[in-house]
Amino acid sequence: MTFPFVSGARLIIDDIGGCMLFIGEAFRTAFKRGIPVHETFVQIWRVTMQSLSTTALAGFFVGALMTVQFSLLVRNFGALGFLGGLSTSATIREVGPLLIAFMLSGKVGAYTSAELGTMRVTEQIDAIRCLGASPFQEIILPRIVGIIISSFFLLLVGLMMSIFGGVLLGILFAHINIDEYLRNVPTIVNAFSIGTGLFKCLVFAILLATICTYKGYSTTGGSKGVGRSVVATAVSTMVGIVVADWVTSVISEAVLNLAAGR
Amino acid sequence: MRFSFGRDVVLENVSFSVEPGETVVLIGPSGQGKSTLLKLMAGLLSPSRGSVSIEGHDLSKMSSQERETLAKKVGMLFQKNALFDSLTSVENVAFPLREVAGSSVDEGHAIKVAERFLDAVGIAHARDLLPDEISGGMQKRLGIARALALDPQIVFYDDPTAGLDPITSRKIVQLIMDLRDKRKSTVVAVTNDMHRAYQLADRILMVVDKEVIDCGSPAETQAFKDPRVAQFIRGLLDGPLTVQA
Repeated sequence: MTFPFVSGARLIIDDIGGCMLFIGEAFRTAFKRGIPVHETFVQIWRVTMQSLSTTALAGFFVGALMTVQFSLLVRNFGALGFLGGLSTSATIREVGPLLIAFMLSGKVGAYTSAELGTMRVTEQIDAIRCLGASPFQEIILPRIVGIIISSFFLLLVGLMMSIFGGVLLGILFAHINIDEYLRNVPTIVNAFSIGTGLFKCLVFAILLATICTYKGYSTTGGSKGVGRSVVATAVSTMVGIVVADWVTSVISEAVLNLAAGR
Repeated sequence: MRFSFGRDVVLENVSFSVEPGETVVLIGPSGQGKSTLLKLMAGLLSPSRGSVSIEGHDLSKMSSQERETLAKKVGMLFQKNALFDSLTSVENVAFPLREVAGSSVDEGHAIKVAERFLDAVGIAHARDLLPDEISGGMQKRLGIARALALDPQIVFYDDPTAGLDPITSRKIVQLIMDLRDKRKSTVVAVTNDMHRAYQLADRILMVVDKEVIDCGSPAETQAFKDPRVAQFIRGLLDGPLTVQA
């Protein structure tokens, strides 16, 4: 008899192993055959246009939410002047990339996984192989590169919108003027905060692109299989993003300590 | 050759050859591995044991470059056509021309050749339509045009008449025969439509109980003694084959 957590762990290890092999094959194909430039630009355009408005809206409310929560706390300590700095720092370093990446995993990840899964179960991927072309070159690489670039860009847009949302809610909700809000931003938000935020955005974008293409490509079992892949993509990317968030936070902290000579 | 999906053995001790220019039809009850066998022959699946060779070359030992060269010699029509749903009819047929020939073929030439193939299968008027916008019969024709775009010496047809009315399926089989005769190609087709199998085949093989039975020519198949073959080709309910309804 196998305990459920043993079979669960085995599935996770299988999945990670499969994903590593998948990425290895993608790298091999990229070095051997190159990345199709036109199709990659098509993917960048498609993903960006598909998710720009949603990301901007989500970003705006993430910033707004942080400002409202922080204003309730700092007001009690008479530290309203630190609202802008605290809210912007937390948004850029942590909450912004995390929540916007969650939103993108639902939108871009699910779409790509369903698209590739459908191509798999309708034998379109087999047809590409049969016609002497490489499915990795034709459909996987353009999507991986396209999703990484566009997700990174979308996360940046989301972060900028979250800062804007934070400022606006600071003025409307906390009743502080824009100068007061921005005064302490440079003291709390430094190059390290911005670097951490950008690093996280890049890691989340790579994670999202890898998981959704892998899950879609390895779909089996008809339309039910496509459904399973979409669900697995959503779950795996969200869990992966949370784990990666912790790992990147630890790495960033270690880098900061190293730089400070601690 | 042996093939299994995990622990489920699909084909066991399978051994046969197809001669150049020959047309072989695979028949057999559903779920017995006909399409799997076709995919093994096309190199889309690898056997668990044994080998599949084309022109004396073991597919599993071929380098990726040799596989690409082989792909130019092999065409395949999939059971559900496997047409690229985001490309128009003409782009579907131009795809292999563009991809396999690479930079040596310019876009205009690939489109012109694709148009010629669409015309040959009688769907030139559907040039700019997406696969979803054309009928099942036209999709089959489009699949055939794409399979033949590289002028392959070997063509695999997986159930080319599935889901088509008798007149359309007769037209499709006639088209396959005309193209075969014109190009002198080797054909391996899967079908359970015995009328079409007799019409098309030089030789009939039956896939059943994990093995492949060589039934010989259509005339020999009709007189074949194996009770499984006799039951299947006549569509009898009583016999060794049990079919789950």
